[in-house]
Amino acid sequence: MDQFKLGLGLFIFLAIPPVATFMESVMVIHMHMQMPMLIIAGLLIAPFFQQRFPRFFEKWNQNGLPGILLFIIIIGYWMLPRTMDEALTLQSVEIFKFISLPFLAGVPLRDSWKKLTDFQKNSVITFFTIAFLGMGALYTLAPDQLCNNYLIIEQLTLGWAFLLTAVGMIVYLLYVAFVDPSQYE
Amino acid sequence: MNKTKHNTIAIIVVLLFGCILFYVGTDGFRAYTAETARVNQLMKDQPQFPDVTLEDSNGRIYSFSEFENKYVFITFMYTACTTVCWELEANMGEVYNLIPEQYIGEDIVFLSISFDPEKDDPETLDRYKGYFNSDGETWRMARIPDQTQLDNLLKEFGVIVIPNDSGHFTHNSAFYLVNRQGTLTNIMDFKKIEEAADTVTTILKNDKGE
Repeated sequence: MDQFKLGLGLFIFLAIPPVATFMESVMVIHMHMQMPMLIIAGLLIAPFFQQRFPRFFEKWNQNGLPGILLFIIIIGYWMLPRTMDEALTLQSVEIFKFISLPFLAGVPLRDSWKKLTDFQKNSVITFFTIAFLGMGALYTLAPDQLCNNYLIIEQLTLGWAFLLTAVGMIVYLLYVAFVDPSQYE
Repeated sequence: MNKTKHNTIAIIVVLLFGCILFYVGTDGFRAYTAETARVNQLMKDQPQFPDVTLEDSNGRIYSFSEFENKYVFITFMYTACTTVCWELEANMGEVYNLIPEQYIGEDIVFLSISFDPEKDDPETLDRYKGYFNSDGETWRMARIPDQTQLDNLLKEFGVIVIPNDSGHFTHNSAFYLVNRQGTLTNIMDFKKIEEAADTVTTILKNDKGE
C-alpha cells in the first residue's frame, strides 16, 4: 500500500498545472523526465491493481507478452514528434498522456516484466536501444524543426539524451552478454 | 490450453489497439509531425485572410483589401533573422522569377509579412527588400503595426512564433497562397521552389482559362 501511496502522490504531483507546465517547457525534461516519471508512477501503483484483480492479470497477461506489447505501443506512440507537440496544444492529448503512460505503460510493464524470459527481456531492451539510436539520429541530424513548440537547440539536446540513453542500454546488454554473475558469488 | 487462448486474444486486442492508436494519432499515417498535421488541417479549413492594416516598406498604409481580386503569395518573416528567413525570402524571390511575367502584379502580388513590427519599420523593410531585389510594388514587404491584428492573423494561418530572450524568434516557415477572394488555398514547402512555382503558375493559368 505504501508503494501505491507513493505512486499516487507522484502522479498527483506531476499533474499539478505549474509543475506540468514547467516540465513541458523544456523538451528534454518533457520527454526524458516527465514521461518516465509518469511511467514510474504507474509502476508503483501496479501492485494495487494486481492485488485487486489477480484473476484479470493471470488470465489476460499470462505470459507477459500482451502487457509488454501494450507498453511498447504506448511508448512508441509518445516517441512520435507530433504527439509531444499536441500534448502542449491539445487538452485531450495531454489528458491521454497522463492516463496512458502510468496505466497503459507503467502498470502492464510491472505485471509483464517478471513473467518474461531473460531472452524476451533482453529483446525488449535491444528493441528500445535501436529505437533510441534512431530517435537520437533523427533529432540530432534533422535540419528542420520537428516540433513547433520547441527550438532547434532543444531538439538537439533531446537527440543527445536519446543517444546517451541508448549507450547506457548498450553497456547493460554487453554486461549481461559477457559477465557471468555466478563467478562473483 | 484455455489459459493461452485468453493470452492470445489479449495480444490480438493490444495489437489492434496499437494500429488504431497510431492510425488516429497520425491522421491515417499522413502526419507524423504537428507541422504536417497543421498544413493538412489548414488546407482543409481554408481560412479567410483577416482584415489587417499593413504598413509597407514605402511607408504606405493600407488594408489587405488593397489586393482584392488578386492572388497573394505570402511569407511570414522578420528582418533580424539570420537563419531560415534568408532562405525563405531568397526562395520566394526564385519563385517570383519563375512565375510568367504577364501575371506578376496583374493577377498575383508577392507579400512578405513581418511579425516583428517593433524592429521592422518601413526603413528597415526597405533596406531588407534590397537584398532580395524586391521592387516594393509587385513584391511588397510590410509589417502589421497592430499587435492584436498580427496575433490574430498568425493564429488563423497557424504560424507559430516563439520569441526568445535575445530578440529572435523561432517560427515555422512556408509559402502561403491566398486566392482572389482572400481565402487561403495552398500551403507549400518553401524548400521546393520549382514545385511551388509550378503549382502557382498552374492555378493562374486555369484561372485565366475560365
